[in-house]
Amino acid sequence: MSRYRLHVNGERRVVDVPGDTPLLWALREQLGVLGPKYGCGVGACGACTSLVDGRAARPCVTAVADVAGRQVTTIEGLSADGDHPVQRAWLELDVAQCGYCQPGQIMSTVALLSRDPDPDDAAIDAALRDNVCRCGTYSRIRAAVRRAARLARGER
Amino acid sequence: MITRRGFLGGALVVSAPLVVPGLAAAAGPAELAPTVFVRLDGRGRITATVPRPDAGQGVRTVVALLVAEELVVDLADVRVEQAPGDTARYGSQVASGSRSARQLTEPMRTAAATARCLLVAAAAARWGVPVEECEARGGSVHHRDRRLPYGALVRDAAALDPASVPVALVPPQRWRLLGKTRAGRVDARDVVTGRARYGIDTRPRGALVAVVLRPPWIGARAGSVDDAAARAVPGVVAVVPLEPDAAGQGGVAVIARSTPEALRGREALRVTWHGGTPAADSRRWLDELEAALPAPAAAPGPVAFEATYRLPLLAHAPMEPMNATAHLTATGLAVWAPVQDPGGLRTELARRTGLAEADVRVETALSGGAFGRRLDTDVVLEAVACSRAAGAPVSVQWTRDDDMRHDSYRPMSVHRLSAVVDGSGLPTWRAHAVATWPLTIAPQIPPEIIKLSGDQFRYTVPGPVDLAVLPAPIRTGFWRSVYAGHFQYAEELFLGALGQRSGVDQVDLRRRLLPPGSRLRRALDAAVERAGATPPGALRGVACHEDFGSVCAVVADRAGGRVRRVVAAVDVGQVLHPSGVRAQVEGGVMDAVSTVFGAQITVRDGRVVQSSFRDYAWLRIDRAPEVDVVLVPSDAPVGGLGELAFPPAAAALAVGSGHELTGMPLGVEIG
Ligand code: FES
Ligand code: FES
Repeated sequence: MSRYRLHVNGERRVVDVPGDTPLLWALREQLGVLGPKYGCGVGACGACTSLVDGRAARPCVTAVADVAGRQVTTIEGLSADGDHPVQRAWLELDVAQCGYCQPGQIMSTVALLSRDPDPDDAAIDAALRDNVCRCGTYSRIRAAVRRAARLARGER
Repeated sequence: MITRRGFLGGALVVSAPLVVPGLAAAAGPAELAPTVFVRLDGRGRITATVPRPDAGQGVRTVVALLVAEELVVDLADVRVEQAPGDTARYGSQVASGSRSARQLTEPMRTAAATARCLLVAAAAARWGVPVEECEARGGSVHHRDRRLPYGALVRDAAALDPASVPVALVPPQRWRLLGKTRAGRVDARDVVTGRARYGIDTRPRGALVAVVLRPPWIGARAGSVDDAAARAVPGVVAVVPLEPDAAGQGGVAVIARSTPEALRGREALRVTWHGGTPAADSRRWLDELEAALPAPAAAPGPVAFEATYRLPLLAHAPMEPMNATAHLTATGLAVWAPVQDPGGLRTELARRTGLAEADVRVETALSGGAFGRRLDTDVVLEAVACSRAAGAPVSVQWTRDDDMRHDSYRPMSVHRLSAVVDGSGLPTWRAHAVATWPLTIAPQIPPEIIKLSGDQFRYTVPGPVDLAVLPAPIRTGFWRSVYAGHFQYAEELFLGALGQRSGVDQVDLRRRLLPPGSRLRRALDAAVERAGATPPGALRGVACHEDFGSVCAVVADRAGGRVRRVVAAVDVGQVLHPSGVRAQVEGGVMDAVSTVFGAQITVRDGRVVQSSFRDYAWLRIDRAPEVDVVLVPSDAPVGGLGELAFPPAAAALAVGSGHELTGMPLGVEIG
């Protein structure tokens, strides 16, 4: 066991786990940060997607030791009221069915829009193709990404 | 009972008492609760209790809308609470068969309307005016320019004899919300903020985590277990053999303080296995089914066309892998789990543990998808066995690999159809021979019931459906649309192939064979109208389906090697939550794209080959079509929905694929 200092959603947190422990389990079971979901544990579904230093990452295949001192942002770190532009777009279009994949979809979208404020279909596909939605909300996700881009630019 | 706030917004720890006797505590001094489904407290706050689980199909939203409509308040004014398993109190709690909305509409409306009528009667009595002059709206009862908020009337209303107050439902023509609202689902904000709590997020204080080393081939049983290394892994607390049937699917559980520790322990476990079917191969299973097809029925004329379709195993693969938490003590059992039938589960657990039902508590978490998988109780039985062994609450967590390889799969099937046709190439008779397996998780379903899925054929083409049911060589269960997804998919494939062979347009063919004036015929017309002319260079597939008191017609256009646009026209009777209706249809269409174009489960050397979304080729956003859902106006009663769109969408996609129609999936080896 070792102690690792993490920055999670703007707060300093300490976890006491072996360094190769996947960040996902440290977040969920040590810190009670439950927004990032376990869907596969092997980086193949996107349910856990969160940001590390602003870029999309898969906490299920990211070792705690590798994020010590870096900024980790989970879905909880967007807006507790749901008024981040991506959250607002998701609400407007009523994207979620079961909702389980959506924290990951939303975080992938946040990362995309921070790189590319006006993504075309190909950019949306590239950014989200590794986020599975078993309920099949893809057409709403696509519409919501476009809507979020407009909201983020301050358009109506 | 877990409230919506506590359930969805709470922390990881569930601190409710472990064993709750029987019913909830008696109502407090000021509470109006005409039935178990609706109550108002002394401040007029409205709570709707949802007896059936929500796995994304939106039943929580539908219930909230029904209650808000009848109590003449906004959707946001209704709190939603998930009922624990208790069929004596809530009636059937099973979320399956596309039944939830159909069966809950009347009880929910009646409960809320009763509350409203009692509130109005109480207000009228308070003012000494006739009931007819009073009106409930916006959380108050109004009379001319005075008003009393519901909260101020709750005590009086609760004291009235409900039998003395006539109850009138809000007539559908006056609905403000139902069928009209643009609101999203009630849990949407919790989802986008990460506050939504699923089964996997629900852990009682002190809970341990178990993962299970599962049989490496179908039916294998654990022999010798060398757990020395596993027990030496830091955090591992116990290693527990699980008996198949008594404790789920069998295997060896590693119980630890946390999931990664349990996983490390499982890796260190050494087990020898015996028995089972190490040589099982799903290609051979298809051959066996084909060989078992019933002999062709005697045709009334020369058979002009015959086709054979082979359908694969499919996994449910809900986004949230299987999990359950149980705490068994000497006096009671508490279970927290994403399940599809909490009431039935409670009864089963009481029977299996010898406890009284009153001492078994089943709390239903939100499910990250279900699709029929969570009707199976295997994971819950594992959790109970682990809790018994550990003497503590235990959460059993399946990995994705476990989930994919140890499902209760959609059965394989083989279909042979033959037709007699007239001079214009239209079928005048068709026969449908089917060979498939039963559902091993529901052995009570006999072949006669399975065969009913053959009777859903709505075209005016007579002919027999003959069925052979072979013993299932692997666990099988309910998968969205169940056998309609086999029988009616095959029928539509065959019709499509017939049309292609005769050069009859797919729409014309169906128009000529559907009863004129039927709901399906209207839905087909609506779909075709919305779809417009086939885009240049596109391939178009069409299919229809009727089930659960609803109908669906699908037009699918494919161009440039992928499905571009799918129009699905549905008549689902009265529409309650428009966005939710569209969502279920969209989901069925996406399942169809996934399964027609690649996803299947195969078995080689006794083992399921696929282990994650890498090799179970489920649809991703880059191949997802645009889906246009047309809601056909309808006076029919509320119909079923969740399983309606998959069969016709799959058939339309297949018929319009340009591939040879071999079954499912297309363009690859099946099985
Ligand atoms: S759980 Fe991390 S990608 Fe699937
Ligand atoms: S909404 Fe259920 S998996 Fe995406």
